[in-house]
Amino acid sequence: MIASAPIDFAALAETLRRVTVEITDDGAGRGSGVLWPRGHVVTNAHVVRRSRVSVGTLERDHLQAHLVARSPDADLALLQLDGIELPTATIAETPARVGSLVVAVGNPFGLRGALTAGIVHAIAPIARNGAPWIHADVRLAPGNSGGPLADMSGAVVGINAMVAGGLALAMPISRVLEFVLSTGVVRS
Amino acid sequence: MDTLLALSSELAGAVERAARYVVGVNARRRFGSTGVHWQQGLIVTADHTVEVDEDITVTTPDGRTLAATVAGRDPAIDVAVLRVDAGDLTIAEITAEPARVGHIVLAVGRGPRASWGLVSAIGDGRRRRPEAADWLSLDLTLYPGFSGGPLIDARGRVVGMTTSGAARHFQIAIPAGTVDRTVDELMRRGRIPRPYLGVGTQTVRLSEGLRERLQTDQRSAVIVVDVQPDSPAAAAGLMVGDVIVSLGGTRITEPGDLRAVLRPQQVGETVTLMVARGGEPREVRLTIGERTRRS
Repeated sequence: MIASAPIDFAALAETLRRVTVEITDDGAGRGSGVLWPRGHVVTNAHVVRRSRVSVGTLERDHLQAHLVARSPDADLALLQLDGIELPTATIAETPARVGSLVVAVGNPFGLRGALTAGIVHAIAPIARNGAPWIHADVRLAPGNSGGPLADMSGAVVGINAMVAGGLALAMPISRVLEFVLSTGVVRS
Repeated sequence: MDTLLALSSELAGAVERAARYVVGVNARRRFGSTGVHWQQGLIVTADHTVEVDEDITVTTPDGRTLAATVAGRDPAIDVAVLRVDAGDLTIAEITAEPARVGHIVLAVGRGPRASWGLVSAIGDGRRRRPEAADWLSLDLTLYPGFSGGPLIDARGRVVGMTTSGAARHFQIAIPAGTVDRTVDELMRRGRIPRPYLGVGTQTVRLSEGLRERLQTDQRSAVIVVDVQPDSPAAAAGLMVGDVIVSLGGTRITEPGDLRAVLRPQQVGETVTLMVARGGEPREVRLTIGERTRRS
């Protein structure tokens, strides 16, 4: 249990903004990312199409990062920030429940650190017999991709990846952890 | 435990409880809709999603498929009641407490799926349909297939049945109390009577001159193109070519309004129709009949 869980959306937003970055790919792509231990950043593969990208945090712009691993199938990528370590996101220990409150933080249309709140709409595959996704009733826009979907303790339950039928689709954090482990560069 | 975490758990718990009595309703060609196990063996759903009278099935939360029959319909409030052999399927917890503007509510669809928001207003805002006076306008998204599902409060109690079909462009819920009255009528009489007039109509534009004579600003009404013999309309003296402007004080602007304005409880009641015949306004008294079951 987290000892000091945020008590309002503003505090929650503050917590998440510290662990969410903006990723710009020299004009080729733009999105969000989640800070991971040891200077790593997790994001969507479709956000990163080059081996070197620029990363912006709340306080600092133009940090350099390089691509460590990329899986177009899983739509996930792992970046390494060059010579810097930042605070890292808390990972949710329990899966999201339908109806529970969630927030997303990201950079929709380049608006850095924008917050949107809603509930988990469904936990269901998007293709027949596919793996489950978190469908969330929150308003996302281009630029949110790769950013965190978090519960009311500020722990990340998923990585926002796309919008379909007005719903946000986030990859459950368990699949993200699997991907990061599979790269072999980060031990959990 | 902090406030947001507590609210979040409460909402998730409410959906979990609702998921035990929410069923899938398969009664139209496109994707299915949602239903609520309202009373033992009776599923309430949105009438506009029940497009067929036969081969209807209901999908239970644990994935079983049950055969269902139409027990009754109340199109005026977009409610249909299906009969199923429900066995030990959980019955919904329904609250008679009226919802208030500003209440946090959840709409639940088969699956379960959920969306949340607020009760934004009471009444559908159009004022021309008296039965809509207590409908709940919702500031939430009813996703495809949600119609007929429950609107629940943060405790998981049913406060209404959601539908996006009863009032175009509106996300609304029919209050639980209103649905209850229809279900009670069904229990009492063994059926929901279907009001019957016995006219075929088409939309007609009202000329400016006619609007003046009728002292109305409504732009359209319905013209009678057929009067069935031995019907309430025939008994009241309605004739082909009559223009029906209002019924019981409610505007009739298109044929659908005639169906929408009549309530099951009105069968046997006498109402006044405002009619234009030969361009002259006149009142016609009509006793609403009951449509007999087609064989």
